[in-house]
Amino acid sequence: MMDTDACIHPYPAGNSSVRRMAIEAGALGFSGIVVPGEMPGVYQGVHIIPAVLIRENDIRKVTGQIRKHGASGILIFVDAGDTGFNRAVLAQTGVHGIRSIHRIPKNAFDHISARLAHENGIAVEIDLYPLIHERGVSRQRVLNRYNDLMKLHSRFQFPLILSSNACSVLDLRSPEEIRLLCSLFGMNKDDTNQALRTISTLLSPLESVMVVP
Amino acid sequence: MKPRPPTMREKKRYLLVRIDPPFPDPDPKELYFAVVESVTSLFGDAEAARMMPVVITCGSGYAMIRCIRGYEEKARTAIVTLTSVGERRIALHAVATSGTLLALRRKISMLSLISFEVVASLRFRDREYAARRYPCQKVDLHEKGIKSQELLFLTQDDLEES
Repeated sequence: MMDTDACIHPYPAGNSSVRRMAIEAGALGFSGIVVPGEMPGVYQGVHIIPAVLIRENDIRKVTGQIRKHGASGILIFVDAGDTGFNRAVLAQTGVHGIRSIHRIPKNAFDHISARLAHENGIAVEIDLYPLIHERGVSRQRVLNRYNDLMKLHSRFQFPLILSSNACSVLDLRSPEEIRLLCSLFGMNKDDTNQALRTISTLLSPLESVMVVP
Repeated sequence: MKPRPPTMREKKRYLLVRIDPPFPDPDPKELYFAVVESVTSLFGDAEAARMMPVVITCGSGYAMIRCIRGYEEKARTAIVTLTSVGERRIALHAVATSGTLLALRRKISMLSLISFEVVASLRFRDREYAARRYPCQKVDLHEKGIKSQELLFLTQDDLEES
């Protein structure tokens, strides 16, 4: 089980190369980083885990993208949308996580979505970027949304993942700093530790024993 | 005026924070305003008044921040949300917390000093940069120019591959 930052955006999207991000993440205490569109590998002891981010509003297009990338064995994350879209995404097989929960309308991720996420083992992303970079009302709104998410989490126990969405090495935060940030919206230390390790579970899910005749 | 006896003074805590990128050192006054702004925006004026954050020293890639005892965790949380000092992008990472400045000074002396080598001119992807090479393969590139001064964080391997 390793502490993993669930999403970072290296050069050219950001100003730091993936190798530099890996060095800095390793120095901060991470064992892995999830990088969209990158090749899998290990650099200076830090695992680079590839992922695909699906940013579509149409569920048919999402299904097509999942089919396209599903066999490649990489992590698939889908941006959240309205209530119906989220429920449809969470019913899909092959999706590993749903992200950008703080950007959608307040009730778009409800108790039914939470139950579906739990049943299908789909992780819900907590994006720390707005907590660090936003100020005032917009940060309050994000904190409010995450408070609500934690209430659903305590009831349905769906998996959570934590990502810095760092575009620069200056946006990376250590697991200890992430624990402090998560305490702002009522996430306790055990839940934070578990969320930091969820990526390992998504990569190698626990499956029931099969009897081969 | 007679000074207040030590038992009646407020107990303080001192935080040692690492500044990233370490060079050039930020202006201590600007750093103080940035810390106070991040505390105020996260916890409000009332909590900032109780916490009383102060930048004691700043230099060589480290800074010492003082706060009232019991508020060190909130101070560390606020420091996590600090992203810039003036116009300059920055990140602060708390290294240690102590009840005395002496203990933090000892801690700094135990930490290895940040060393780097300056490269006056370096070409990367058809652009001209000034570079700082740190140990562990790290290279910071500052674009030379008047209009845009892009800052890139790379490794030696990235430069050799390009």
